[in-house]
Amino acid sequence: MRHQLTGSFGVLVAALVFSQIGFAQTSQPPETKKAPAASSAATKNLSHDLSGVWMQYGDGTAPGFARMNAVDDRTRPPLTPWGQEKFDAAKPLMGPRAVGGQEDSAALHCDPSGPPQLLILPNPWEIVQIPGRTFMFFEEYHIWRTIWTDGRPLPKDSDPSWLGYSVGHWEGDTFVVETAGFNDKVWADLSGNPRSEKMHLTERYRRLNHDTLEQQIIIDDPMSYTKVWVSPPKLHKLEPKWEIAEWFCASSELQTYDKDVRKPSGGVSTAPNQ
Amino acid sequence: MKEAKEVEDKALPHYSCSGHFSGSLLPLLPQLPSLPFHRRKSLVLRLAGLLSFLGAALVVSPIAFAQTETEPEKPSETAKTQGAASALSHDLSGVWMQYRDGDVPGTPGMNGVNEHYRPPLTPWGQARFDAAKPLSGTKAVAGKEDNSALRCEPSGPPQILVLPNPWEIVQIPGRVFMFFEEQHIWRTIWADGRPLPKDPDPSWLGYSVGHWEGDTFVVETIGFNDKEWVDLYGNPRTSTTHLTERYRRLNQDTLEQQIIIDDPKVYTKPWVSPPKLHKLEPGWEIAEWFCVLDENKDYDQVVRKPAGVAPASK
Repeated sequence: MRHQLTGSFGVLVAALVFSQIGFAQTSQPPETKKAPAASSAATKNLSHDLSGVWMQYGDGTAPGFARMNAVDDRTRPPLTPWGQEKFDAAKPLMGPRAVGGQEDSAALHCDPSGPPQLLILPNPWEIVQIPGRTFMFFEEYHIWRTIWTDGRPLPKDSDPSWLGYSVGHWEGDTFVVETAGFNDKVWADLSGNPRSEKMHLTERYRRLNHDTLEQQIIIDDPMSYTKVWVSPPKLHKLEPKWEIAEWFCASSELQTYDKDVRKPSGGVSTAPNQ
Repeated sequence: MKEAKEVEDKALPHYSCSGHFSGSLLPLLPQLPSLPFHRRKSLVLRLAGLLSFLGAALVVSPIAFAQTETEPEKPSETAKTQGAASALSHDLSGVWMQYRDGDVPGTPGMNGVNEHYRPPLTPWGQARFDAAKPLSGTKAVAGKEDNSALRCEPSGPPQILVLPNPWEIVQIPGRVFMFFEEQHIWRTIWADGRPLPKDPDPSWLGYSVGHWEGDTFVVETIGFNDKEWVDLYGNPRTSTTHLTERYRRLNQDTLEQQIIIDDPKVYTKPWVSPPKLHKLEPGWEIAEWFCVLDENKDYDQVVRKPAGVAPASK
C-alpha cells in the first residue's frame, strides 16, 4: 500500500510551524503522545537489523505535531563569532525569529537538504542494509545517502558537498555514523543554526525493539559552535506498510504554487528565478 | 583502504561476483559487493553539474564537451552473447557506464533511445514535438534549449537512462535499486511479484515493477507525468507512456539494456531501440551531483551571459 504526501509544499507545511499555511501533511506522525519507554539501560544483543521505513514520534510541545527536535535547540552550545554572524543573517523557518513569508532556508528554493537537517523533518525515511553499505532514503526531496560500512576511514580532505561523506561501524548495539565534507549552504536545522565545512556529524542508532529505532545526533562544528552539540535521543516508529513515495521539489511546481496560492494570499514568493 | 581485487575473467556463465548462480535462481540472497570500490579521483575534477550535463548533451552547440570520465571506446569481444545462452547471471549489481558507440565521433551516441528507430508520431504527438526546443539534433538551437532538466527539474526514465553518466544497480530480495549520478536520482523497481498499479498518480519517475524472464530482467514502468521528454530531442513522454526495459548481464563486465517505449497517444507504434551495452566500472563510486538552481544562476552570470548565450534559467 502506498501512502501519498502532498507535493512540494509538504515540507514547507511541516516546517512553517508559525506561519499562516495550514498543516496539510497527509501522513501523520504516530498518534501516541509519548514514545514508548526505551529498553533497560543494560540491554545487550539488540538487533543489528535497522532496515525498514521509519517515522519520528510526535513528541513535541504542540499536540499532534512532531517537534522536529532530533537536533534540539535547547542543548545548543554558544556560537562562535563566525557562527553568530551566520545565524543572525539567516531567516529561519521556526522559532522566535521566524517571520512568515520571509523564510530563507535553501530548501525552499529546492536546493538539496543534507544531514543533519535532512534527519529532523517529520517525513518517512527508510534504511536498507547490504554488506559493506547502508543506505538511507528520505521521502523529503527524494534524497538518498550512502554510509560506507566496509571499514574504510573518513577521507582526510573531502570536497564540500550537500550530503557529506559518511562511514559507519558498530559499537556493540549501536550503529555509529560519522560524516564530514559538508558545504555551508544548508543549515543544521530549521532555526538557522549554521553548518560549516568543518562540521563533523555523528549519528548513533539503536534498534531498541522491533518497532522502535533510537537516533541521537551529535554535532561537532568548531567553526560554528564553541562546544560539541549533543541532542537527546529521538525515537522513531517502524511503519511496516509504508513505502517511500515520490516527492521532488521542482521549481515549476513552486512557481505554480506561488501563482495559485501565495500571491493571492499576499505571501512572498520563494520560487527560484522570481 | 582495501586494495581492489584482481578481477578474473571467467568463462560464461560463472561469475566471481556473488557466488554461484544458475540461470533460474532468483536473487534471494543478500547482495554481496563484487569488488571493494575506490573513490574516484576524478571526483575533485567534476565541473558544476550543469556544465557536465550540457557538455554531454549539446552535441551541436558551441559549449565544449567537458565530461571528465571517458566512456569506454567499444565493447570487448567477449561482450557478444553466446548464441542460445542460458544461465546468464541474475546479478546485475555494479556501477555501469554506457559504451561510446554513437554517431558523432568523440561523443557517446546517447542512443539508448534511438532516434533512427522512432515510429511516426500521431498528430497530437507531432504538435508536442514541434513545440519542444531540444538539446540535440537538427532542431537544436544553442541557447534556446528548453529541456526541463536544464531548470533542475528531475530527470526520469527513459531520459535518465540515456545520458552517459555512471549509474549503479543494487539488488535486495524483492527490490532492485538504480542510482544515477545524474541529479543524484534513485529509483525503486519492485521485484516482489506485485503488478503495476491500476491508476497511479503522474510522477517524475513513474512506478516500476520487474521480473525475470529467463536471463532477462524486464522492468515495466507507468504513471509518468508529461513534464519531461523521453530523450533530448523533445520526443514526448505522457501519462499514458508504458516503458519497458530489458536487461541481461552478458558477462562479468557487460550489461545489455534495451528500451521500449509504448505510448499510442504519441507514437503510432511501439518504439523499440536496439540494445545498448554498458561496461562495469569496478573502481567507481557514484559521486554526489545535484542540479541546484542557485548554482545554475551563478553559471549564467559567470559563463553564459559573457558568452552571449541565453540563460537557461527563466
